[in-house]
This record gives sequence, C-alpha cells and structure tokens, in this order.
Amino acid sequence: MLFEQVLFFVAAAGAIAGALGVVMIQNPFYSVLALVGHLVALALLFLLLRAEFLAAAQLVVYAGAVMVLYVFVVAYIGGADEPLSPEGGAIARLGPLFALALLLELTIAVGGSELAALESAPGTAAPGFGSPAQIGALLLSKFLIPFEAASFLLLVAAVGAVVLARRRRGLEEAGAEGATQVAREVREPAEPATVAGASGEAR
Amino acid sequence: MSLIAQVQAPTVDFRGLSPLIALVVGANVVLLAGLLRGAGVQRVLVPLLAAVTLIVAGALSVAIWETGDVEPLVQSALAMDTLTLSMSLLFYLAGLATIALSLRSSAVGEAGAGEYYTLLLASISGMVVLAAAENLITLFVGLELLSIPLYVLCGSAVRERASLESGLKYLVIGSVGSATVLYGLALIYGATGQTDLGRIAAAIGEQVEVGDPLLLTGIALTASGLAFKASVAPFHQWTPDVYQGAPTPITAFMAVATKTAAFAVFLRLFDAALSTNQVEWGPALAALALATILIGNVGAIGQRSLKRLLAWSGVAQAGYLLAGVVVGTRLGLQATAFYLATYLVMNMAAFAVVIASERVSERGDDISSVEGLGARSPVLAWPLTIAMLGLAGFPATAGFMGKFYLIDAAVDGQYAWLGVTIVVGSMISLVYYLRVVAAMWMAPDAPPLAGPVRRMSPASGGSPEADPRAQPETVAVALVCAALTIAIGIFPSPLFDLAVQVGTSISGI
Repeated sequence: MLFEQVLFFVAAAGAIAGALGVVMIQNPFYSVLALVGHLVALALLFLLLRAEFLAAAQLVVYAGAVMVLYVFVVAYIGGADEPLSPEGGAIARLGPLFALALLLELTIAVGGSELAALESAPGTAAPGFGSPAQIGALLLSKFLIPFEAASFLLLVAAVGAVVLARRRRGLEEAGAEGATQVAREVREPAEPATVAGASGEAR
Repeated sequence: MSLIAQVQAPTVDFRGLSPLIALVVGANVVLLAGLLRGAGVQRVLVPLLAAVTLIVAGALSVAIWETGDVEPLVQSALAMDTLTLSMSLLFYLAGLATIALSLRSSAVGEAGAGEYYTLLLASISGMVVLAAAENLITLFVGLELLSIPLYVLCGSAVRERASLESGLKYLVIGSVGSATVLYGLALIYGATGQTDLGRIAAAIGEQVEVGDPLLLTGIALTASGLAFKASVAPFHQWTPDVYQGAPTPITAFMAVATKTAAFAVFLRLFDAALSTNQVEWGPALAALALATILIGNVGAIGQRSLKRLLAWSGVAQAGYLLAGVVVGTRLGLQATAFYLATYLVMNMAAFAVVIASERVSERGDDISSVEGLGARSPVLAWPLTIAMLGLAGFPATAGFMGKFYLIDAAVDGQYAWLGVTIVVGSMISLVYYLRVVAAMWMAPDAPPLAGPVRRMSPASGGSPEADPRAQPETVAVALVCAALTIAIGIFPSPLFDLAVQVGTSISGI
C-alpha cells in the first residue's frame, strides 16, 4: 500500500515535470525527450490503476514508436540549431495569466471533490479488468461504432497527409520556371562565356 | 477463455446505420474513382459519385424518418432520432451545394478530385456521427472525424499562402478546441462514472450532486471546446482568418455544416444529458450568447472582404442560435433546428454569389467586386440581396421567421433579455448587410484597378469570363437558395412542422 502511494507520487511528479519540460525547454530535441519521460510516467500511473495492457500499449506505441518518429523528424529538419523563442506581444504576455486562471479553476474543482478517492479503499476491479481480452471485447461490442469510426478516421488522415505532402508537378515547374528566369536575367547583361556556368548553377 | 465465451456480439441495426454506411462506402468509391485517369473522370464522374452518395444517404435518412424512430444503435452508441436525421439532411444539402460550388474551383485540382471529395464526404460522415452520438466516446471520435478532413480541405489550395495559413491556423486552434472538449468529457465521466448520455442524465442528482465541482468544471470545459467549433465569442478569433484563407466552397461548407454539427451536439449534450444542470450552464451560455451577438455584429461593420464579413456575420448568427440552446426547452430546440435550416439556405446563397463574383473579378472578394453588380448581372445581384436581407432578418424572408421563432423561445424560457439582444443585434447588423446591398445597386461600376492588375489567383478556377452564364451551377445554387429563403419566409409552416417533429426527439424537456 505504502509502496503504491510512493510510486503514485513519484509518477505524478514525473508526469508534471515532463509536461513542463516539453513546453519550457528551448531545444526541441530535449523537448521531445521530456515528452518521452512524461509518457513513461503516465504509463506508470496506468499501471497503478490496474490497466496493465494500457500501460504496455502506452510504452510500446507512444513512448516507443511515435516518439522515435518525433526524434527522427527533429533530427532530420535540424530543429536543434534553432531554439524555439516565443514571440513577444500583448497576447503572449496575457497567455500565462489565462493558464494560471484555468489552473486555479481546476485546482478548486479537484479540491472541491475533497479527493475522496484518496481516503477510500482501492476500488474493486473485477478479475480480468483492463486485460487485452476485456478491452478487445469492449471494442467489438459496446464501442464497436467508435472503433470503426476511428479506423475510418485513420484512413481519412492518411488521405489528408497525401493531399498535403505529395509532389506537385506544377509547383516544381513553377520553381524551374523561376530558375530559368533568373538564368535569363543573368544572361542578358553577362558575357556569353560566364552564362553557361551561371545558368547551369541556377538550374 | 471463459471471458471470450461470454462476449455477445452486439445487435447491429443495419437499417438505422444505413445512411452512415452509404457515406463511408461512397467515400471509398469516390477515392478509388479518383485514381482513374482522364479529365472527364476528374471533372464529372467523381463529383457525380459524391453527389449520388449524398443523395442516397439523404433518401435513406428520409426513409428512416418516415418509418418512425429507431432504438439507439449498437448498445446506445448512436441515436438515429429526428434530431440526427434533420441535421443529417442539412449536412447533405450543404454537401451537395458545396460539390456544385467546387466544380470549377482550383482547390479540387490541387488536392486531386478523388481526395477532395473523399475528404468532404468523410467530414460529413463525422458530422452525422457527432449529431447522432449517444455516448461520450462516439461524440469525440465524431468530432475528430469532422475536423481532420476540414483542416486538410482548408489548406488544399496549396499554391496560396492564405490557404495554407488558414489550414494551419484551423489545425492549431481546432486541436486546442478538441483537447478542451476531451478534457471536459473526461471530467464529466470522472464525476458521473458513465459514458452513455442517458446514464449521465440519470446519474446527475442521484449518484453525483448537481453542484459537484468536477461535473461543473467538465461542463465548462466541454462548452468552451464546443464554442471553439461553433465560433462563439470569445473563442471566435480564428474564424475570420480561416474563412478568408480557405477555398471559398470550403468556407461555405464550414460556415454552414460545421456550425450545424456543433449546435446539434450542443443540443443533445446540454439539453438531454446535462439538462438537470440547466440552472448552472444556462446563465453562462446566455452570457456567451450576448457577447457573441455584440462582438460578431460590431466586428463585421468594418470589414471590406466579403468572406470576412460573412465570417463575422456567422459569429453573430452563432450567438442567435445559442439563445435556443440556453433556454433548454422543447421550443428552444425547435427554434434552433428551424434557424439552422434557414441559416443554411441564406448563407449558401450569399457564398454562391461571392464565389461567382470573385472568379470573374480582379478584386477577389473585396466588397468593391460587387459594385454595380445590380446593373451588370442582376441574376447574381438578386440572390445576394435576398441573402443579405434574410441574414438581417427582414420580414418575408426565412431569417425573419427564424429570428421570430428564436425570440419566442427565449421569452418563453425566461430569457426575455436575450430576445431583446437578438433584436438589437439584428439592428446593428443592418449596417453591414445593407452596405453590401447598396454597393450592388447604388454604386457605379467599379473602375478598373490602376497599376498592376492582380493576377487571376488559382482559386479563381478557369479563365476570367465576365459572364455569369459561364458558371451555371454556381448561379443555380444561388438562385435555388435565394428562392428557398423567400419561400420559407412566406410559407414557413412545412418547415415548422418538421421542426416540431425534431422537438420530440429529446424527451423530458
């Protein structure tokens, strides 16, 4: 019991520290690593709630696969060279105030529930609660429609990603056109001998 | 093993699900048809298939409506009641109009016809799921299925900076809205221990106190998140920028269908599941409605871009609609459903004219592009005039009947001051609606622009023909919607009867 309580506070503190790290660390690479820490702490919390399958899925899918993808992207576009600096402005300065107001509201709300759950005995979970079999059964019965809708959503998201990211012949042509135009501009004043090199470079 | 043996397959009522199945199948067929080569396929077959999908889904919805209510579907994940069916029909109509308006839009070519119309159909299916959601999980999945295709569609004119900016802005703000909704739903679940809307309604007052802080915070966060989607002030700041940057057919679709979906879920969640808490959320939403009406109408006054003007006007209209939710009565539900239908035809007429005129004008959607339109092409000027008068709430238009109904509901629900606010808001709105009308009929034809002529933007579609006959489908949408605006204004009773049937969908109010 005591061990569980200690573990809870360690995991909760870790989750909050990780979340703060994501927004406060300037270097995007460390920001992603803080997110990994946050997700691992969340998995621990799931474990304390007897949701072993969810905890494992959280570790494998989020902390594992998705975050590796994030790290790849950050490494690929070299985000580490450009620290994220928040832009100044009246609204940017007001932002923390609103965040603080929301935090106060939520604290009052959670405090208002008198944290009754902390004092009470741990809830009685039915045997097999949170097991893969039970989650699977729920997905195929009670939550069949949301499950199917979510799978359709993934298809749609893939289509959307293709729409935004696919190569466009027109755009490349526009780019090439621009390049030839530059070459032409260079060509007119310049000596023929240097043009070949210039236009070749522009291309 | 024993557990697996216990699992009962849920009964799936395919009749009730048929509109959704038609939409999803249609979306996939459209996606595959888009892979075929040939200009005829891209320009004719794909939009035709998308339109057929919507018509089939609409016919199935009407058939379900005719044969009476179906029980909640698949262990109360969805409810195909009259509220869902009526809102679905509005989505299908908005979708059909959007397809017609998109036919010459360059955004279709940029995104690929198959992908563009698939995303449109997916967004509509998300709206149907959202409007039908009887369960917090279904509700959230529906919200995402609605939003994600729209983020992409907003940015689908990738050659235009404004479109990309619009898509990104909508993605960021929409995600914040979705996250807020999710947080709120989690707190409601935490307080009540239920995800079914019916059981939440039963639990409030029994297992959980009405004034439970966790429940109230959950309601507040859910309302804020939905207010993002419905562009209710003070969560409206994204609206003008996103509406202006998005391809105009998508703007029209968002202005009409997304708002309808957001209000459908407002009605179901607040008037059905959380009706016990009406004393708490009623005044809060009423304050939001007051702020929205004033901010939207005042914000619209200084706008020169017609799309921005319609965006601000949409904010104000969201305030009027919220008044029908606030009262939490059957009359309010009927009035909101009625106003959503009139809002659809009036806005579609206005956007159709804006699209037709921005395609041929070098001034884009600036208000000067419609100067002298009354003399140039009255076939476009009349629909926009009717739409503007309707949105302002002139008698003998649909907008007048809708506002009348909403004010009646507000007064009946002890919110008379909100009814007065609607009237005051409509008076302010005359300033900018009539400015557009005056520009069309009283201003001389705009002189050609001095200096370098704006290059015809890719969003303008084909060549700059100055003849409205060159785009008959756009003019047809404008004329049909304008005719409906007048028809509903003069003979409102058929739509009233439908609205009364919608009012029976939520019991206990």
